[in-house]
Amino acid sequence: MAKPTVASDWLGGCAGCHMSFLDIDERIVKLVELVDLRATPITDLKEPDEKGVTVGILEGGITNTYNEEVAKRMRDRCQILVALGDCAVFGGVPAMRNFFTLNDALTRAYVDTPSTDESGKIPSNPELAKMTVVRPVHEIVPVDVFIPGCPPDADIIFYALTELAQGRIPKLENNNLMWN
Amino acid sequence: MVKITIDDKTIEVENGTTVLNAARQLGVDIPTLCDHPELTPYGGCRLCLVEVEGARTLQPSCTLPASDGMVVRTNTEKIHEARKFVLSMIFSERNHFCPYCQVSGGDCELQNAAYDEDMTHWPIQPNWQPYPVDASHPFIILEHNRCILCRRCVRACGELVGNFTLGFEERGADSTLVADLGLPLGESSCVSCGTCLQVCPTGSLIDRWSAYQGKETDVETTKTICMGCSIGCGINVLTRDNRLVRIEGNWDDEISQGLLCEIGRFHPMVEERERILTPMVKSDGKLKAATWDDALKAATEMVSSSKGDLSGVASTRVSLEALADFKNLCDAFDAKVILTTEDCQAVSSIFKQASKDNAPFEGKIEDLLDADCYLTLGEDITKDHQVLSFFAKRRIPEGAKLIQIAEKETGFDNFATTSLHVKEKSLADFLLDLRKLVEIKAETVKKVAEKYSIEDEQLQETVNSLLSSEKIVVLFGSRKDFNDSEALVKATKAFSSAINAIMLSTKGNINSVGAAALGFSSTEAVKSNLILMLLGDEELSQCTAQKFEKAGKRIVFSSYVSQLTAGADIIFPVSNWLEQNGHIINIDGHILEQRSALEAPQGVYSNEEAVNMLKNALNVKGKVVWDQEIKQFSSPVKIA
Repeated sequence: MAKPTVASDWLGGCAGCHMSFLDIDERIVKLVELVDLRATPITDLKEPDEKGVTVGILEGGITNTYNEEVAKRMRDRCQILVALGDCAVFGGVPAMRNFFTLNDALTRAYVDTPSTDESGKIPSNPELAKMTVVRPVHEIVPVDVFIPGCPPDADIIFYALTELAQGRIPKLENNNLMWN
Repeated sequence: MVKITIDDKTIEVENGTTVLNAARQLGVDIPTLCDHPELTPYGGCRLCLVEVEGARTLQPSCTLPASDGMVVRTNTEKIHEARKFVLSMIFSERNHFCPYCQVSGGDCELQNAAYDEDMTHWPIQPNWQPYPVDASHPFIILEHNRCILCRRCVRACGELVGNFTLGFEERGADSTLVADLGLPLGESSCVSCGTCLQVCPTGSLIDRWSAYQGKETDVETTKTICMGCSIGCGINVLTRDNRLVRIEGNWDDEISQGLLCEIGRFHPMVEERERILTPMVKSDGKLKAATWDDALKAATEMVSSSKGDLSGVASTRVSLEALADFKNLCDAFDAKVILTTEDCQAVSSIFKQASKDNAPFEGKIEDLLDADCYLTLGEDITKDHQVLSFFAKRRIPEGAKLIQIAEKETGFDNFATTSLHVKEKSLADFLLDLRKLVEIKAETVKKVAEKYSIEDEQLQETVNSLLSSEKIVVLFGSRKDFNDSEALVKATKAFSSAINAIMLSTKGNINSVGAAALGFSSTEAVKSNLILMLLGDEELSQCTAQKFEKAGKRIVFSSYVSQLTAGADIIFPVSNWLEQNGHIINIDGHILEQRSALEAPQGVYSNEEAVNMLKNALNVKGKVVWDQEIKQFSSPVKIA
């Protein structure tokens, strides 16, 4: 039997969950024995294979129309979709902007910051993705496995991936369930 | 008694026991959020829903009384679904993003409840409505975004503390915790006891000083007693890496029952006095750091050459053990006087009265718990012995009367049933007249009211309250200077026994009774050639400190730099109250054990150790055994 294939991508997050994934250290050797690691933001192949992968992993929340597209593409091309980290699961830190208006958040970021001079203005290039209310991945596409954590501990990620590699859906409970 | 079956286990419980408490007795775990063992059940959060056979819907177990033959299930699919739904609703209401919250990772009851139900995400999205943050209070931050509207804090503020500062305004999703009809907490009637902090299940009430300093799993907890006043409230001291993180009330403590005041909970967190870390010896008119050996040698010479012209002064914040050794040392050199630092004549008058009577005449703190009338005299106990005031205030909604006799305004003004503003110098006379009014009705209320320029309606109501009450407690605040405190103590005692009331005086510091039992007299100005001072960590008022500045030379044991260490000849650094073990006798005669929660800095010894080092250097033999001494003592309150 062919090894299960895994692809990942990141949305509105900080890449910290992928860093935490790399924190599994030498266990990554064990992992690639079990799975075929395909497209990820930290490999040469960036987009999940068109013919599909077994497991798709998404880090980060849905913050704009581009994130929506990427999430939908991953959903279309994988059998099991994993939401990795608090942003993908809950919206996380980026979702804090939902407590303000979009304009207030953008003004704060591009105009009001102390390090910005008078030339600072909110980017308005029509090619830019349209910002939306920040949502967790499961508000856009159905998610099969939720791995909360900011970031999830490397041990938890390793546990979840090895379970998936062996054809099981990981059950996060007790010490493996952490929202912070 | 009723028989109830929960998850196939049957138990017989008292009538009126809730299903939740019956389950706890059976060891069946039902998750809760708004419920708290110290508070009246509220039934607000719906997390404790259970299936009751024959009932149409799920029932909240915290408010449901067990009835005979009731069959309850707590672990069915339907219940787990309901719990998840309840939790989803709570999470969707406000900002419950865990990563930035100080209680996340073990200390949050809401997060723990979600973990227990294996919730990996929120099925319902938050509504993104921001709420204000109230950071106006020096110790407590009110983070409304994390509030789950469980009203534990509101119930604690009213039911336990009797202060009724916290309440709710608006309805539904707009419900908001408010202090006094909407004032910022820092400007409200809050007395900063911090009980609300201790009961909050989420991170909504933030303790400024302990937030992010360590989770409960990271800290060590020491059960000891607060040394802030004479009550001796039971506390849990939370420390991490020999650093004070937080002080909490101990719910199991029989004296304070988990309550604390601002002084006990917060003041140790903001201690700013400069610590003394090495012995100091004066040479060429200047204090210079010295080794313990050199300082002990210098002290030995000074004490040996004093030829009996020395006095001893000790703080009543130090343990019986240290006081006993200190007395032993002073006795060995025929000290002229052995005094405490207590500067209230009323305290010594209490002890004098006790030695005259040779029998205890005071009641116990527990008498406050079920009294139906409180009469306060003297000091404002809402400031100095706050926990006693909580015990009285919280009984008012149940119909208890609070009579305050005070010359000026006090913290009881908004609570007292009657306030009689009688001049302090005529207090003793007034008690005599009040007694006549109650006892033999010999005087008319009008005449007495006129005599003391008080309102006759207030006086009439006072008399009525005293006549109609079954258990009256007279709280005599003794940390106050009266003109003739001996006469007032005598009058208060006579008044209490005439109206069949229980008298309780607040006395001095934590070990006031202990020091009196060991034969220390109350303070006076000292003029001897040499004065030995065991100050411990006490901070004396300027006017008290001045009494000891006239002595020729001064050897001081002290934790902190003060006016008295500045002019001392020899200083020995000693540990503070959190760093030592020992025993004390509190306000109502309990012998309490103090346990050290922190390690003293290197080279700093406990009061007891430091005094013993000097004792050994001076070759003083013998020992004062404190538990023997206190048996001979005529105490105002029974010691046990």
